[in-house]
Parts: sequence; structure tokens; C-alpha cells
Amino acid sequence: MTTYIIRRLLLVPVLLFGVTVLIFAMLQFLSPVERTALYVRDFPKNDKAIEGLIKRYGFDQPIYVQYWTWLVGKVDKTSGVREGGILFGNFGYSRSASQPVAELIARRFPNTLDLTIWTVAPMILIGIWMGVQAAVHHNGFIDQAARVFSIVGTSFPTFVFGLLMLLIFYANLHWFSPGRLSDAYNQVVDSSSFTHYTSLLTFDALLNGRFDIFLDALRHMFLPILTLSYISWATFLRVTRGSMLETLRMEYVTTARAMGLPERDVIFKHAQPNAMLPVLTLAGFSIVGLLGGVLITETVFNYPGIGSAAARAATSLDVVAMLGFALFNGLILIVANLVVDVLYAFVDPRVRLS
Amino acid sequence: MRKMFTLLSLLVVASMALAACGGTSTQAPATGGDATQAPGDTSAPSGFHAADTTTLVVAESEVGIDTLDPALAYDTASGEIIQNVYETLVFYDGDATDKFVPQLASEMPTVSADGTTYTFKIRSGVKFHNGDVMTPSDVAYSFQRGLLQGGTSSPQWLLTEPFYGVGVDDVSLLVDPEGNLYDDREALSAADPATLVAACEQTKAAIVADDAAGTVTMTLKQAWGPFLPTIAQTWGSVMDQKWVVENGGWDGSCDTWQNFYGMASADDPLSGIANGTGAFTLDKFANGEEIDLVRFADYWREPSKLERVIFKQVPEWGTRFAMMQAGDADLATVPSANRSQMDALVGIYQVFDTASNTYGPEQEVCGYDETALGAAKFTPCAAGETGNGGQFRLRIGRPVISMDVLLSNWNIATSEESPNPYIGSGKLDGNGIPADFFSDVHIRKAFGYCFDFDTLLNDVFSGEAVQSFQLPLAGMPGYFPDTPHYTFDLAQCEAEFKLADLDKDGIAAGDDPEGDVWTTGFRVQMAYNQGNSTRQTIAEILAGNLASVNELFLVETLGLPWPAYLRSQRAKQLPLMTGGWQEDIHDPHNWYQPYTTGTYGGRQSLPDDVKAQFRDILERGVSETDPAKRAEIYKEANTLYYDLAVGIPLEVTTSHGFSQRWLQGVVLNPILSGNYYYPMYKE
Repeated sequence: MTTYIIRRLLLVPVLLFGVTVLIFAMLQFLSPVERTALYVRDFPKNDKAIEGLIKRYGFDQPIYVQYWTWLVGKVDKTSGVREGGILFGNFGYSRSASQPVAELIARRFPNTLDLTIWTVAPMILIGIWMGVQAAVHHNGFIDQAARVFSIVGTSFPTFVFGLLMLLIFYANLHWFSPGRLSDAYNQVVDSSSFTHYTSLLTFDALLNGRFDIFLDALRHMFLPILTLSYISWATFLRVTRGSMLETLRMEYVTTARAMGLPERDVIFKHAQPNAMLPVLTLAGFSIVGLLGGVLITETVFNYPGIGSAAARAATSLDVVAMLGFALFNGLILIVANLVVDVLYAFVDPRVRLS
Repeated sequence: MRKMFTLLSLLVVASMALAACGGTSTQAPATGGDATQAPGDTSAPSGFHAADTTTLVVAESEVGIDTLDPALAYDTASGEIIQNVYETLVFYDGDATDKFVPQLASEMPTVSADGTTYTFKIRSGVKFHNGDVMTPSDVAYSFQRGLLQGGTSSPQWLLTEPFYGVGVDDVSLLVDPEGNLYDDREALSAADPATLVAACEQTKAAIVADDAAGTVTMTLKQAWGPFLPTIAQTWGSVMDQKWVVENGGWDGSCDTWQNFYGMASADDPLSGIANGTGAFTLDKFANGEEIDLVRFADYWREPSKLERVIFKQVPEWGTRFAMMQAGDADLATVPSANRSQMDALVGIYQVFDTASNTYGPEQEVCGYDETALGAAKFTPCAAGETGNGGQFRLRIGRPVISMDVLLSNWNIATSEESPNPYIGSGKLDGNGIPADFFSDVHIRKAFGYCFDFDTLLNDVFSGEAVQSFQLPLAGMPGYFPDTPHYTFDLAQCEAEFKLADLDKDGIAAGDDPEGDVWTTGFRVQMAYNQGNSTRQTIAEILAGNLASVNELFLVETLGLPWPAYLRSQRAKQLPLMTGGWQEDIHDPHNWYQPYTTGTYGGRQSLPDDVKAQFRDILERGVSETDPAKRAEIYKEANTLYYDLAVGIPLEVTTSHGFSQRWLQGVVLNPILSGNYYYPMYKE
């Protein structure tokens, strides 16, 4: 197992290198002036600014020079300061966010992680529970209702569902506001009296003894969590239901029943653990999806996570930021896959043996 | 395991329920503050009351600040923050775009008889936000620093011309007049040290502080009519030299200035911090999320009534709309496509009166017709009638400070190695146009007469735009409401095509027995950048009308991805284009310079003799300080621009701005970068 993990870890930089080369190669299809267009939103007032940008970013340099510069940066001869260089932790400057990409990720990712942590439990557990119930009551009322729920959930666009939630619970009922925190608490969190132990707002609020801020943060996360959970429940329900039905038909389950085990034990102790293998894979991918940022949900609820930042970078053709996000997402995906694989090995002895 | 999951689920659900029960009225920490009234309060009470009168929230589609360095910022979003944190020597007088009042100067400057020397008395006792006291040296340093920092992405070209001479648009030209050093700090630093020092000393000699006398004297290269408008903008902001140096900025030495030349926002140490003398200090700078300004207690005037101004980035319109409805935002970005949603909730409105150049009285809304255009949607209440009680206030109808102009390329780039894809065969054979197609004035005029302005104004802008007759805008020298202009006239369009002589045989096309454009026809592509529906519709309007004049006239509209559009424009390949401009200062020089001798003149490949004619007018116009005389000079420019049909001014859109009704003291000056929050307050 250790060898397996080490081998997978060694692959990480190779995969990341591949991602960067691929994106860089794609950019080379554009001429220097066309690539400058990615740095300006409209015609600059002074036409000479285009030449200035080409010079500044070295778009007229060969690709290997540009790639090398991106990797190690460039030392300003007059000031001696190194500009750029991802190997030095500098992912470049995001034009769309007007700040270094590394800072942008560092500021936004904890918010996304916070949202992910609070979303995972309701999203997965309720989804699984509904799937199990549907399978146990196969073709019964609960199963039929679950199927309808699944179809509606799958076909309901996140965007529409989110706006609907916003309309009902914010504009009309005034229960849950968009954003990350109320303005008044924002000031507290930004002040020196509030310590950022983990950068995760809900946890920091508790660690600072500010239960009011904790509740306010949760109140702001409620609608995003509900939206994310709702759209995922349908998938979890279907996968769990299918897997459970398949498992319940297996001979060892029949044997367990024949041995007189209580139905509850048959389902929850014998059938459900084995039915959870495909669900585990789905859960892994869902968590990776959440960590990579949930673009639409974050945008609709004005939640300052990494997804809304990535969306803005993409719509602004902010290549530097997109490269940074691609690398970051690649890293998350690789690590998450590794974790899922390891978990799989623990859960399923067959994987370990092979 | 299952019990743990169940417990965890219960915990999450319970937390959510508890959070939900918290309700919306969160306990804000008390910030206190007095209720002194800021200047500018002339509005009648609205009868609407904000839950929190101390904090103003602006829900913007984007809080993307390029830089907070006043010397570098050249976008409206950055300008809005800078305008409220920093201050300039003189500032706009309320809603007027052409009147100024002293701000950090204690009085309006004295100007020498020849108009080249301005002496400013600097206000004493003014503090920067860090507590430093502002001195005349700080003022001089701020202008010197800006000029020497230069760079083509910055607004400094607006200052280099008055200080260094007409046509000098960057300090690097003082080192290399050939223009090889633009934006190239490394190459500039390698220039002759003596030349570098000389450029710096020339700059310092032009702006001299006398701390003992409390004055700053600015000596211009030549008289400059729009000098006060130029320094009233954010690039004329006064900075604290000590603070700038402490934060890694230029130390004021002529030996080091080149190290700070051509600064970009990414490497500018002052991009994310600010220390001005303005009514608000920068409290939070989470670019792309939220920016908070708080009231400056030691402000030299009475402090602002607002304690905090919060700019929140809310990209999704539905969310911003919900925030406005809930009263959680006082101002919001409203896309023109979504205006009708807000219009339906307007309870009070003001319509701009062009004759008096001010907004008319506030009127309660008693009726709303969504099918009508502009202000006609609203029916004001008659005497004794009660309004609909709508929660929003609308101000509508003031022409903005930008314009679209239909431009043609007089010498379209094409070659055998790089054939132009937009001009078909490249010949006058009915399947293309020759490269000099638009060098014929009658062709340009014909295109002007074939443009249906009313369709553009009503269909594209829903009646919320006016046709531009000339480049200067209302309220500036050179604006004449009765100036000659192109109108939609298909007969005149046809007549002009028949007067053209593209085969240059001396016979007008309408009479040419060997054939010319009228009988051969043409095919040309008019490109626009994809997503820009205004440019697309302009092309479509033109194409339709030209085809109706002569079925042999074919204009194909073509949407290009932004990079391809930029590349084609840079290569001067686009035969026709729509050129937009948003003014930097409210002055005709800022319109004629780009559209003739500057940016657009280059993009249109205007011939040197035409540029020379305009250059002569512009040099006379900009160096004249008497507004009446300037008006006459720019009248010459209007006539020449119209006669040559250099461009066809299309439209200026008009304002359509919403706010909560409880928001008062709003300064409605279009030349300002966004809002000026000092006089604002909430009822």
C-alpha cells in the first residue's frame, strides 16, 4: 500500500507539468496581439499600450522562453526583484481579480472548503438514506416518489433552483441573505480582535468564542448548502438505489435472510456496506467538485469562494488566473483521487489484493 | 459508524435550524457617530427610512479595481475609490462639468497673462489619513511622480501634453524623441544618465513648491485651455510623499525615477493601499469581493454623514435585484436589459432637462406603462394624487460622456503576402472593394446618409439615447446644437454614391459610361467583436439600408472573437468599425485629439494632410484659454470633420440610474468616476 501511495504521489508533479504544457501549447495558436487581447477588455485608449503589453509579458518570445519565465519568473534588472515564477510560489497576477493568483486562491479557497465541509454531510447522508429507502421499498410508494424526486432534481437547473430559493427565502421571507457574512460581523472578522486560526470562518468563529458569528455564517451558507445538496441528492439517490437493489438480490443476502436475521440487520449491516462502493466513488468526485468551486451556486448566492473567482477569470479571459486555477484544481483532483483510491482499498479487500 | 453519521446529520440540520432562527436583524457592533450634515444636502425628505443610516451599500456587478495608485489608475472602478479617498487641488462644482471649486487649493489659482503659469495656494492644516500633514511639497511631488512614472496604460498623457508640449504623450519621449522607449523600463534605464536626469529636472522645474509661502507653481509648455479639468480628475490627486517612499515608491530623486517608469498595476506597490486626504479612508480592500471605506474623522471639512461605504461584488443580477428589494443595497449595477424590473418599482423620478442642463423636479409616479420608451413610461401624479409608493428613485435622461462614431479606414491594409479577408476581391468588381475605397469623400458621406439613426436610438437603446451631431458634448466649447450633421436620407445617400469617382477617371459614378461603384456595386465585411450587440446592430442597420439603395451594395456583418477583432484592427485591416470613446475630461480637445490626430486617426489611416489640418486647429484650440474663442476654433473642427465625413457621430446614451428613495445628497455629475459619497446621506 505504501509503495502504491508513493508511486501515485510521484506522479503528481508529472501530471501538473502535463497540464501546464497543454494549456501553454493551446495559447500558442494565438498571435502576440491576440494574446494581448486577453489582457485588455476593450481597445486601449492609447494604441501604444498594446506594444507595451507585448513587451512586458514577452508575448513575442519563443514558447520555451515564455514557459521558462512562467516557471522561474524574471528578475527586474533595476530593482533586483523577481517577478513571477510558479516554482517560487508566484502564480502571476490576476487581471480579473487585480491581485496575485496565489493570494486569490489563498483567500477564496478556505471559504469553499468551509462550504464543502458543511455541505458534505447533508448532501451524502440524506442522498444515501433516500436511496436505501427507495431500494428497500422497491416499486412501492416511497420508491416511486423517490424516482420522481430524482427526475425533478436532475432536470432542475442549479441556476433556477438557486434563484428560486433566493427569491423565497431572501427577497420575500428575509430569512437567509446572500454573501458570506453580515456587514456588521464582517467588520468584526476583519478587525484585529478576531483571530484567524484556520481561515475557515465557522471554525474560527467557534474558536474565538463568537457563536453569533458562527450562526450568521451558517445562515449565509444555508441556501448554498440546500442548493448543492438538492442537486446532488438525485444522483446519490439513484446510484445508491441501484447499487442496493443489486446487492439485495445477491445470494449472501438471501442466505442472511434464510438464516433468520432481522431485516434491519440484513439491510444495514450486510447489504448497505457492500452497496456503498460505487457511492464512495461518487462521493469522492462530488467532494472534489465542491472543493474545485461550485461556480453557479457561488455566483447566485454571491458566496466568495474559488468557483466564483474562477468564473470571473474565465469570462474575463484572464489566462494567468485560469492557469493558476487549472493547476490548483488539478492538484485537488489528483490528491482526491489518491484518497478515494486508498479508501477503496481499505473498504474493498479485492482492490488491495490486486 | 451509522450512529456517528446520524449524529453528524442531526448536528448539521440543528445548526442550520438555529442559524435560520437567527433572523435577519443581526446585532451590529455600535460604531456611533455624530449626525452633522455634510454639504450638498438640498433634497426634500423622501418619507422612506433606511434601517441603517450609517452604512451605504453598493451592490456592483464587479468590484474590480485595477490599481489605487492615482498616477496609474485609468478606469472608472479604480477612479471611484480614488475619488473618495484622495483629493485634487480643484474639484467639480456640484453637478457642473465645466465649473470648478478649490479643494486642496485654498482658492482658485492665479494664472499668468500668457496662460502658462498657474500658482496654487495650498490649503493648510489638511491631514492625510495616516496623520501626516499635507504640504505644498507633497502636491508638487505628486504631479512630478505621475509625469515621471508615465507609461502608455496610464492617464499621464493628459498631463504630459500641457507640461511637455503638444504631441508628447509620455515622459520617455524626453529621453528618446523617436519613441523607442515606450513602456520599456529596462531600455529607458540604459539610456544616457545625463539625459535621464535632465528629463527629471525639466519635470521638477515645471512644478515647484514653496512650503514657506504655501504655494505650488506650475509652468506649462504652452497655455492649456483645459488645464483645470485635467488636474481635477483622479490623476491630479495629492499623495503623501513620505508615505509613498515608505511603501516602496519613488524617493523624489532624479537619479532613481527611471526605476519606477512604466509601472503596471501588478508591480506597483501602491496598487492595493491608499492614504489620501479625502473624506473616506480605505478600510478593507478585498478586490473582487468587497471594498470598504470608512469616514475620516480628521477630515479638513466636517466629516461625512455616512460612516461606512461598502462596495460588494454581486455578479448575478437576480441577487442584486433581491438585495435592492430587501433594502440591503442602496445602489446597484442595473444592466440595461433588466431596467424594466426596476422601473416597475419606481416611486419617484426626475427627468433631465436639456435646456436648463439640470434635472427637473422630483415627481411621484402614479402610472407606469411598460410599453412606452424612456421617461414616457412614467405618469407623474397630478395635484392631490398619491403616488404608487414604489421604493426606488429614478433619474433619467441626462446625456452621458461617451459616444459611438462610425469610422471608415481610408487606406485599408492588404498585401499579397497578407491578403485582407474583409474586402473581398480587393477590387471594384462588385465582389469586393479597393483598399482606398473610403478615401473618396462621397463614399463616406453616402454611408453617413444611409445610416438610420432613429432605428438605432429606438430599437437598440429603447429611446434612451440622442443622436450626436458633432464630437464635442453639450456644455463644452465647440458644442453647437444647430451644427450641420448627417441625417437618414436615402436619396442623398444615392446622390453621394453617384458623385463618387472610385476609378479616378474624373467622371462621377452616376455618369460614368465605363462603370463605377454605382453600376459595379461592392461587397465589404463590417466586423464587430462577438457579444457587442450595439456594434452588431449598427453594422446590420447600415447593411440593410445600403442594400435598399442599390442591390449591388453588399455589406456583410461579421462577428469576430475579441482577440481576432483586436488583431484585425491593429493590422488596420478593418474597412469599417464603430469607435467608442469615454471622455477623460469634459473638453473638446479630449474628443478631437483621439478622433483625428490620435488613437482613431491612426486606426482610420487618415492621411498626413488631413491630420495636419486638424493638428493646426487643435493646437490653436487647446492653447486658447478664452472659452468663447475656443468655441469658435472648435467650430472649425466641427465643420472640417463634417465636410470630410471623417467619422459619423452616432449616439450618446442617456442616464437611467436607480437608488433607494432614502438616499439623499447624490451628486449627479457624469464626469465623476462613479459616485462621490461625501455629500450623501440616508434618511
